[in-house]
Amino acid sequence: MSEALLQVRGLTRDYRLIKKREGVSGGLIDLVRPRRELLRAVDDVSFEIPAGEMVGYIGANGAGKSTTLKMLTGILTPTSGEVTVGGLVPWRERVQYTRHIGAVFGQRTQLWWDLAVVESFRLLQKIYEVDEQTYQRQMGIFDDLLDIGDYLHQPVRKLSLGQRMRCDLAAALLHRPRVLFLDEPTIGLDVVAKENVRQFLREIRERDGVTIILTTHDIGDIEQLCRRVIIIDKGRVHFDGELEDLRRRVGQKVRLTVDLRDTATSAELAATTGDLPVRWTSGEGRRHQAEFNRSEVPGAEVIKRLVNGAHVLDLSLAEQPIEEVVRDIYRQQGRPTP
Amino acid sequence: MDLRTQRGTEGFWPRLIWQGRIFGAYFGQFVKMRLAYRMDFLVDTLAVSFSMAIQLTVLSVLFSKIRALDGWSFEQVLFIYGFSLLPLGLFNLISVNFYGFSDKYIIGGKFDRVLLRPVNTLVQVMFESFNVSGLNEIILGTAVMIYAGMKLNFAFGVGDFLALLVLVPSAALVYTGVFLAITSVSFWHEDRMGLAPPVYNIIRFSRYPLTIYSLPVRVFLTFVLPFAWVAFYPATWFIGGGQLPLVALLTVPVGVVVFSGAVWMWHRGAANYASTGS
Repeated sequence: MSEALLQVRGLTRDYRLIKKREGVSGGLIDLVRPRRELLRAVDDVSFEIPAGEMVGYIGANGAGKSTTLKMLTGILTPTSGEVTVGGLVPWRERVQYTRHIGAVFGQRTQLWWDLAVVESFRLLQKIYEVDEQTYQRQMGIFDDLLDIGDYLHQPVRKLSLGQRMRCDLAAALLHRPRVLFLDEPTIGLDVVAKENVRQFLREIRERDGVTIILTTHDIGDIEQLCRRVIIIDKGRVHFDGELEDLRRRVGQKVRLTVDLRDTATSAELAATTGDLPVRWTSGEGRRHQAEFNRSEVPGAEVIKRLVNGAHVLDLSLAEQPIEEVVRDIYRQQGRPTP
Repeated sequence: MDLRTQRGTEGFWPRLIWQGRIFGAYFGQFVKMRLAYRMDFLVDTLAVSFSMAIQLTVLSVLFSKIRALDGWSFEQVLFIYGFSLLPLGLFNLISVNFYGFSDKYIIGGKFDRVLLRPVNTLVQVMFESFNVSGLNEIILGTAVMIYAGMKLNFAFGVGDFLALLVLVPSAALVYTGVFLAITSVSFWHEDRMGLAPPVYNIIRFSRYPLTIYSLPVRVFLTFVLPFAWVAFYPATWFIGGGQLPLVALLTVPVGVVVFSGAVWMWHRGAANYASTGS
């Protein structure tokens, strides 16, 4: 079948908020006549995700990421719009649907706080009707990739955050779901733990072809995991495409760092690049930094002028971090898109 | 990929059996967990036994002054009291998650997790934790009933045994239904205090023969807050009282209706939760 596994059309979600007035008298007025306000958290969001893809769903706090994820997992009913995952409507066929998905919501564990990890897995085995053979095979994979074997017999409350996240991931995948939803899967983890989680996600996707949708604040997650990103702001989709396209669309800003043999001022360096659209941002003495856009001027041209004009010992070019790319996308709002 | 073709256990009875197995799994885990906190269990047991002993003392002191209560003998009242502990114990065993449901599940966000699992939401919430002190009540209630029954020279036949097996769970359904309905309200109102404590206190009225109360109270306990069905009416099957033994059997439909209504309310509430996303 050529149809995408996950189809979202015109997904919209309003929240009805009661706006509290200040002070005691305000509280009394609220009691009699509450001020209600309608907030559109997700606004006409549409996208399709084919099976096996790993997609980053990103945006600032309050952009509507979690609300979308809640609707995709069937926790929340949308105000309007459609979602089908493999033909199922999440919030309408909840019991049937949840068999096929796994979800990890950041800080909240799915496991039973007081139970040993392995007991939680045994309960999940019964809940998801996982046969013993599959159970053993999955646990073998998790132990291989996540090293959870060492603390399987400890109660969940005694695990570190990194250990718990690994167990939560394993728990979400025990029943071999077709789709995995992750809300901030690396939040609060140290560098090594983050790397472990990312490595695991890559391998599990290759091995099982599981479709993964993740929200994150961590740019490293996106750069290392997702070829495709969807950027959402104020409930609307602002970008949906390949990470490379995103870079291209906001231009390919590059940061140039040069080390000189002799000290120089910014003005002297600016003279070497002359009329080229290069911005010397900072630096004094021997180290200087500049920014330019590859779509406006080729890097080689900038470097040629620079090397001709000054005695350069060393230089390096760095791509703009995706954080800034996203920020630029937000800034472009209201400006006509090319 | 079509996920509609890959289904789990289906059909009413297979699913019911499956949910029974889920219950068994949860309960097994709970027992293991409790064994890890042995002191807690001991303290619980002591506390419950102590409170039961006090209530029994009050009853016996009361009846040492007055030999009968509106025509009911001490032994008969004692029997009703003993009977009332059985459904109460069953109810307490499974209802512990109703208390603080709003705090833990709605405000604390645990209900999201419940919605992510392919099991009936009510089954999950009820079976996620148990209250072992319910077992104490069942044991004590049985002892009190046997004692009172012997004093009453009660000939306990097979029919009575079967009636007990049907009436106790039905009465427990009444309890569970009432508190389930109250708990379901928190899907609409994030009420921390809750209606449960005052209603729980009214249970005490149900431990005495209903006929000692005035008509409005009797009507209230029979039709509005149907606690007359958790002890007095079903117990009359055993201790008699005019036409009442036949009324006792009505406990079964009352239990089923009250519980079904509450389950309906629960699912309406859960749907509302999903649509408000509080």
